[in-house]
Amino acid sequence: MAAMTDELLPTIALDGTRKARVNLTQARIRWVILALLMGFCVVGARLIQLGMVVQDSTIEGQARDVITATRPPILDRNGLEMAVDIRVPSLYAEPRRIIDVDEAVQKLATVLPDIDQRWLRDRLSGDKGFVWIQRELSPSVEDKIMRLGIPGIDFITESKRFYPGMREASHILGSVNIDNQGIAGIEKHIDNEDVAMLQDIGLARGNDLAPVELSIDMRVQHVMYEEMQDAMVRYKAIAAASVMIDIYTGEVIGLTSLPDFDPNDPKSALVKDSFNRITAGIYELGSTFKTVTLAAALDSGKVKLTDQFDARFGVKFGRFTITDFHGKNRILSVPEIYKYSSNVGTIHVMQALGKENFRAFLTKIGFDTRVPFELPEMRNPTVAKTFSDVGAATASFGHGLSISPLHMAVAMAAFTNGGNYIAPTLYKRTREEAEKSYVRVIQPQTSEWVRYLMRLNALEGSGSQMNKEALGYRVGGKTGTAEKVVDGRYSSNKNFNVFASAFPLDNPRYAMVVVVDEPQIENPQSGDTAGWNAGMMTGRIVQRVAPMLGIAPDFSPALDTNLVPSFLR
Amino acid sequence: MIRNLNIILMVTSIIALATVYGLKFSIEHTANEKIALIAMIDTQESDLSLLRADWAALNQPGHIEPIVKRHQEALGLGPVKQKQFGSFTDLAMRPAAPDNQGLNALFESLDAGVDPIDAILQGLN
Repeated sequence: MAAMTDELLPTIALDGTRKARVNLTQARIRWVILALLMGFCVVGARLIQLGMVVQDSTIEGQARDVITATRPPILDRNGLEMAVDIRVPSLYAEPRRIIDVDEAVQKLATVLPDIDQRWLRDRLSGDKGFVWIQRELSPSVEDKIMRLGIPGIDFITESKRFYPGMREASHILGSVNIDNQGIAGIEKHIDNEDVAMLQDIGLARGNDLAPVELSIDMRVQHVMYEEMQDAMVRYKAIAAASVMIDIYTGEVIGLTSLPDFDPNDPKSALVKDSFNRITAGIYELGSTFKTVTLAAALDSGKVKLTDQFDARFGVKFGRFTITDFHGKNRILSVPEIYKYSSNVGTIHVMQALGKENFRAFLTKIGFDTRVPFELPEMRNPTVAKTFSDVGAATASFGHGLSISPLHMAVAMAAFTNGGNYIAPTLYKRTREEAEKSYVRVIQPQTSEWVRYLMRLNALEGSGSQMNKEALGYRVGGKTGTAEKVVDGRYSSNKNFNVFASAFPLDNPRYAMVVVVDEPQIENPQSGDTAGWNAGMMTGRIVQRVAPMLGIAPDFSPALDTNLVPSFLR
Repeated sequence: MIRNLNIILMVTSIIALATVYGLKFSIEHTANEKIALIAMIDTQESDLSLLRADWAALNQPGHIEPIVKRHQEALGLGPVKQKQFGSFTDLAMRPAAPDNQGLNALFESLDAGVDPIDAILQGLN
């Protein structure tokens, strides 16, 4: 610029117009540059503005993909689906994109007549980014709403849990809430275990979740469920429940409890009394406890099968005298005490063992704590820390202490499988895996004696009604008829009946506990003690499920005589 | 020279313009196809999940049992009874050698028009 002016100096006057033109051009160039810069600034500013926009990908506070996340299917031990995901459309709105709220409300009301129009209007007004209108609709409704063509209204595909077995396995499966999170049963356990963790780290999306295989056999579960339903009608009971476990692996084959709920309709779980009586109910299990007392006494060596105990007179504790229900009033041998379910005899057996030893044995078989099990619905048993003389006496025949039926089933498994405590599980487990966590509670020899006693009771004792129903399947077990406590006293007409059994006793495979609450007599010829209801229910269940479990009936008398210890034959 | 260059440049830019637009439209087209495919997969997956749920529900013992009960009489269905089970030990052993004499006697009597088995069956009735 300086050079240019120097050059032009001599011809100032002549070149005035040219210079003016040059100046003008330079001014124009500056304006253009300015305009371009401003243009770029505008574009840049817009870019920055676009970059600053935060896309709201959450749905009412939850990440979108948590809502659409799937849950693993749940299969029974034979691969039959017990819980599957179905994908259903859910209707949502983006209120800030809705132009005419009133029109949208009216149109939606034509397809969803049940919807509250005022509520919907409130919901669609405002400038929220996302609101649910109605969740889990059917595909046909989705189609109709799509046809309405309302702007700002759209669908999202959600996973909805479906339980094809309906109510049959409700207490095992539990249920999920509308956000597909487990709120009860094994569903809750699955969430606590791994799905929640997987979802947190961003996995477990899509359909490739490995199915969860349970130990339940749906065929057995169905039979047990049906028999419980039958019992509710037949005995006019207020509740009935049963559990069957594999004595070697601890796998739960079936678990039912009535009243129950429909897992497809989680609200029904809130109905009173529909809790899981097997795990979350604790009861005085009555005479079934004599199996525990005798097992403890025989295992200690302080009592022998051949010993005799005086059951002629009741046992006195201060003001109280404990007598027998159907007293034989004579001297009884140990098998007879079991067979005739003698309270007096059992007390003497327990006293021979010593109440401290008896209490220690209850700890050993896990009656102090909850059963280690997957279901979250558990309750602590109530067993006194130390027993008084009378406390130990009543405990020996199952009164004054409450445990869950599952406790009893696990104890039965331990007594019949050769004496190993194995924690029950709802997941598939092989015998080898289970053997690693075996804890010996009684000697194999004692286990054989307990099997003999259980079978003896089925053949000659209170289990004979049961045995008639399941002839040939070598079932054995002990009845328990506990009078219920009503207003602080034992009631004579309200019973809680139990049958704790195992089968086939020549080579035991399964242990089962059946309980029935307040059963009435079926007909004038029958009784209301456990043998008539819980026992017969056990028999009917075994009769139906044994063939499914690969157990063939066998009538050869040698099987029963082989159970008798050699010194008693 | 410069004019020719300008013409070439203009032609190139027009062609480039057309190509870019073509590309843009084809990409949009592909994107739409992709969205349509995703939507189709989505509907098919949800159909599949429904079918699977249906299948599972139909397979439940609790669903089959009422059907069995309904057709119990017509088909003569009933729970398996203990006496219906047999075992290999219940079967008679095969004779060590065929009973030639007995077979001959049987064939002779059949030839003569007398069926001993039939007589036994008649006796049963």
